[in-house]
Amino acid sequence: MSAPPGRPSLGSGWIGLRFTRDRGGAPSRRGPRGNDERWAFLFIAPMVLGLAFLSAGPILATLGISLTSWDLLRAPELVGLDNYARLVDDKRFLMALRNTTFYTAVSVPVGLALSLGLALALNQAIRGISWIRTMYFLPLVTSAIAVGLVWAWIYSPTSGLLNQLLGALGVPAQKWITDPFWAMPSIIAMSIWQGLPANTIIFLAGLQAIPGDYYDAASVDGAGRGGRFRHVTLPLLTPSLFFTGILSLIGSFQVFDQVFVLSRPGRPTDATITMVYFIYENGFRNFKMGYASAASWVLFMIVAVLMFAYFSSQRRWVHYQ
Amino acid sequence: MLTTSQARRWRGLAALAAATALLAGACGSTTPTTTPAASTPAGQSAEPGTSEPAASGGYTGPPVTIEYAIWGDPAEINSQKAVVEGFTAANPTITVDVTVADWDSYWDKLQTGLAGGAAPDVFAMDGPLGPDYQTRDVLLDLTPYIEAEGYDLGQLDDNAVKDFTTRDGVVFGLPRDLNVIALFYNRDMFDAAGIAYPDDTWTWEKLVEVGKQLTRDTDGDGTIDQWGLYTETTDMENAWSSFVWQAGGDILTEDGATSALDRPESAAGIQFLQDLIWKEKVVPDPAIFAETGDAFEQGVAAMEINGSWLVPTHEAAGIKLGIAPLPAGPAGKATSVNPTGAVVYANTDAPEASWLLARYLASPEAQEKIMALKASVPVNKEILATSYPASFDGAQVFADSLAFAHLKPAFVGYNEFATILQTELDENVFNAPNKTAADAIASVNEELNGILAGGQ
Repeated sequence: MSAPPGRPSLGSGWIGLRFTRDRGGAPSRRGPRGNDERWAFLFIAPMVLGLAFLSAGPILATLGISLTSWDLLRAPELVGLDNYARLVDDKRFLMALRNTTFYTAVSVPVGLALSLGLALALNQAIRGISWIRTMYFLPLVTSAIAVGLVWAWIYSPTSGLLNQLLGALGVPAQKWITDPFWAMPSIIAMSIWQGLPANTIIFLAGLQAIPGDYYDAASVDGAGRGGRFRHVTLPLLTPSLFFTGILSLIGSFQVFDQVFVLSRPGRPTDATITMVYFIYENGFRNFKMGYASAASWVLFMIVAVLMFAYFSSQRRWVHYQ
Repeated sequence: MLTTSQARRWRGLAALAAATALLAGACGSTTPTTTPAASTPAGQSAEPGTSEPAASGGYTGPPVTIEYAIWGDPAEINSQKAVVEGFTAANPTITVDVTVADWDSYWDKLQTGLAGGAAPDVFAMDGPLGPDYQTRDVLLDLTPYIEAEGYDLGQLDDNAVKDFTTRDGVVFGLPRDLNVIALFYNRDMFDAAGIAYPDDTWTWEKLVEVGKQLTRDTDGDGTIDQWGLYTETTDMENAWSSFVWQAGGDILTEDGATSALDRPESAAGIQFLQDLIWKEKVVPDPAIFAETGDAFEQGVAAMEINGSWLVPTHEAAGIKLGIAPLPAGPAGKATSVNPTGAVVYANTDAPEASWLLARYLASPEAQEKIMALKASVPVNKEILATSYPASFDGAQVFADSLAFAHLKPAFVGYNEFATILQTELDENVFNAPNKTAADAIASVNEELNGILAGGQ
């Protein structure tokens, strides 16, 4: 966070290492390549081993379970593709799919744009910048529950902060969470606020990895502030943008906490139910583990297809130093 | 059901971390958490007949530790431990490990524990959810113990016993306490308005009339700041199922095979709640208190229709609490009763000790202790008839209400049924009057019948 400008920091270096390999481009790294690689594998080993031993088995198992009717407690019964066929006609599932898509389509671009703006604003050499940065990173270390409680109060129709602020501007009070129109946007706003610091850290690291020489050279060539941003900052930040994009996309398709917390008491309505909540509800409340597993695989396939398209697009817009 | 009580709401939030963790590891762990097998000698037989206790029943097996899991506030663990103390005093070779989880994580933990073969030996069961467990081979059939001892189920509330007995007469667990719905009122507000307290002569009309008198804009700023009546709309138990029965309707048909909500009387009951909110405007829009909790507890509603579990909460809030029976509807008096019971895990290592704990919890001694917590109505008829009615001001009302109480419906697929139904009602009937109750029911009734058919 406080690395002096011009020195490569973890963020971009790591991303360079990870993704330039895919294109076969020559990564700019110091030291012999083989040595770096060995270290890289060592560093990702805990994650990879954890995934391989703790997640891969259950993930594959859900594929088998999705072909069964299983209530979690008695022996599963093979039903072929029935679960998948039923999903297509399930109104609540289609609502969940629609809501999750809407959530992703809004929260990812808006969240990334705001994080980038925040990172630019925080990438200043002014007094007390560390304190200011810390303030912005607080949501990252605050528990989702505490955040949910505070936002529930912000959205309260009578005494809520939001309605009071809007009331001062003459806007009539809204019923944010219980209003089918505002419910999802309200959840999205909370999620963006919550996700802001994680993306900002990565952008900030990316910004600080841009060598100062580039800006000097651009200035000499007559580039103004806007020119320097467009032709130096933005292209060199595309690896960070690519990386935060992946995390945000995957994360937003898995949205659960915010919906779970804000829809208490009661349950998510047709306007707020999401894919992962649907999976949770069927698996853990309705004794339909097979059905829930099928929904998980549909979700997985959607994310996989999106990721494939996203990675394929990398060549066209991501510039590595 | 306690799920929807405001008191439980904030506790539910703590479930989040656990719930997400469970999602991630749902298919994994079979690590035993409690009751290590080592504590039960391998040679001990699980056959109830072989370690036959005397009729009045001291424990005769080897020393064991059993886990007794309940849902509730972490603070409740001490009162529940106190209830169990009498049991361990009488059976010194049994150690009871009481564990508590909030409502949401309780069920997540229980299901993963059952699936992984490491469930608590004895655990609390909510009446409506019972059939979903009874039909899945995870509960111990207590009938052999009951027959061997000649245990008289007739000493427990008949409705409550029903929820823990299958149609074929198999007994899975014993009821522990009852949740009964009544009308709470704030004596101070009635006194200030010079209105007589609610009593057993009240009808729907009277409720609306007094509700209107007590719904006020006390500071004249154009918004209501004292409501006549408050209730919760997100579960049938808090209010609307009682209205359905008071109107002469029902939730299910007599054979339990189909929804009875499409009867005009049933719709009329749900319609009454919508009217209280949107037509008579004596109950606040559910959105207003969705985030901030119980309006009655906060002292901004003069009456509340809700369950016995709120008595300690309201008293702690300093409300001068009065309790009256629910007003009569067009078809007379009715209320809702929902038992909580103790069931035994089918694969427990200590079936005899577990049975004895379930039996103890329904005994007069334990019932007196449960009663003293004021949060629920005892299930033991002897205690109900003798010490309970005078145990606090209003207890008599709960005891008397049992005479016209309907059992909250319990059937396979209950949660799915409730989710489909309640999502529609919340969105289109209670949170906003987009549809009449009859229209809303018409839009989901076929789906509800499908769920009932699937569970048969």
